[in-house]
Amino acid sequence: MNTSLRRDRQDLLRAGLGHALNLGLPLLFVVIPILSFVVVSFWTLQDGQILLIPTLANYRAFFTEGSYLPVYLQTVGLSLQVTLVNVALSTAIALFIFRRTPRMRFLILMSFMLPLFMSYIIKVYSIRSILGQRGLLNEAMLGLGLIDQPIEALLFSRTAIFIALAVLYLPYAILPIYLALDRIPANYLAASADLGATPMQTLRAVVLPLGRPGIAAGAVFTFILTFGDFVTPQMVGGTQGFTFGRIVFSQFGLALNWPLGSALAVILLATTLLAVALAGLSLRREHVR
Amino acid sequence: MKQKAPFLDALLGLVAGIGLIALYAPLLATAALSFFQIVRVRGTLGFAPFSLDPYVALLANGEILAALSTSLVVATVSSLLALVLALMFAFYFVSARRGLGIAMQTMVFLPFLLPPIITGLSLLIAFREIDLGRGLVTIIIAHVVFIVPVVYRTVLVRLQLLGSSLTEASLDLGASRVQTLRYVILPQMRPALISGVLLAFAISFDETLITLFVAGSQTTLPIRLWAMMRVGFVPEINALATLIFLCTAAITFAIGLMQRAGERV
Repeated sequence: MNTSLRRDRQDLLRAGLGHALNLGLPLLFVVIPILSFVVVSFWTLQDGQILLIPTLANYRAFFTEGSYLPVYLQTVGLSLQVTLVNVALSTAIALFIFRRTPRMRFLILMSFMLPLFMSYIIKVYSIRSILGQRGLLNEAMLGLGLIDQPIEALLFSRTAIFIALAVLYLPYAILPIYLALDRIPANYLAASADLGATPMQTLRAVVLPLGRPGIAAGAVFTFILTFGDFVTPQMVGGTQGFTFGRIVFSQFGLALNWPLGSALAVILLATTLLAVALAGLSLRREHVR
Repeated sequence: MKQKAPFLDALLGLVAGIGLIALYAPLLATAALSFFQIVRVRGTLGFAPFSLDPYVALLANGEILAALSTSLVVATVSSLLALVLALMFAFYFVSARRGLGIAMQTMVFLPFLLPPIITGLSLLIAFREIDLGRGLVTIIIAHVVFIVPVVYRTVLVRLQLLGSSLTEASLDLGASRVQTLRYVILPQMRPALISGVLLAFAISFDETLITLFVAGSQTTLPIRLWAMMRVGFVPEINALATLIFLCTAAITFAIGLMQRAGERV
């Protein structure tokens, strides 16, 4: 009796420690940091000092001051553009992989995923060395006599950022779309064919609708990653590539305005959450119908 | 099984081909430029003959090598720490009440789902609140926070596949919990553990966006490269890029093989 009581207590202690570690650590290192930056966004910056006076001034600044709102809108536009193009390309590529034999699928999928594991910063650099004014693309076209002068628009422009982001984040859309297609049972396709559907009809009526969750996930990943990226625009966009992410980052570097930076980051976070919610909503509506 | 549709397949194949070229052209161009540098002779451009000069220069570049060793230390320490934590979280998820497990899991996944810029700056602010100076420690903490979800996911899938019967049998046969873990569960999970750690290592080694916030004066390899590229062109970068390209390809291939082997078991 006595020993079993002691064991009970030991078990209780162990369980308590388990909860403390498993819930406490994520709370400490994930949730509290996120909360703290939201809190900082309501603080006041005065003469370079952060004062614990609650204010909405940082959020007001976003709407009224300088170029925050225009840059925000431009960045949303750019990210949406990349998302649209990449999802279209990725759907085609995922379909291409899907229509191969099972043995080939893994190999082709791997070759599209491999660049994902390549150094991010080196990929940005490589893309820059191709697109740049003295880059391979310009030099090749000059060499072939296609152009007389290097096309300056290829580097340090919105087009350059667009191309770089599209190339960098392409695999992130291919994977979820392919995985969604991969889950479609083979006999659905057989049934559709048996019922007399042409391949295009099967594609439109069976494959693409069932692939929707993957397409939505791919779109969300692409949007979130391109919208938050602040290194690529800087590397290939130069002073032209002033995106919202860069503005946020600069508040923690040179501009050194943490409360404003936090407020802008809250807006960035809210935008990505909105994107997730919209994607979820579009799926649910489809489901009801 | 699948209907033939030559036109559709040709169209999809074309897009896939363009996609592959777009993904690999930058990497291949960099590799080519590391062996054949571009030179300009009287306004016209040409390639210098094959040379390994950039590789020699790389070996003599102390800054890059120092950053490389920092990155290796960070990636090793943080992926091993992440493994321990991921195992703990995975066991908690399968044993604790469902609600608590899901609460834990949601928190653990957050840093991987949020844009890296958010994870980076929230950790920066938290470190500042507790007066933890930026350096090696903050980089490692940030990397662990970011890669735990990846290892956790890999480990949990394998653990759930394993089921509880082996554990129960082992406990019934009189093994202690520690013995069961050491001799029954962990050996069964080895492929998942190894591929999880390799994946975590690769992600940590490459992490740039979060590290930029928490690095301070310490520089990992991506941060060093970022700083160098802002200044201008350095031929060593092409050499280094090529070497990293080959290493990651090898590691990725190993992960792929291991995960396939793991599925077959």
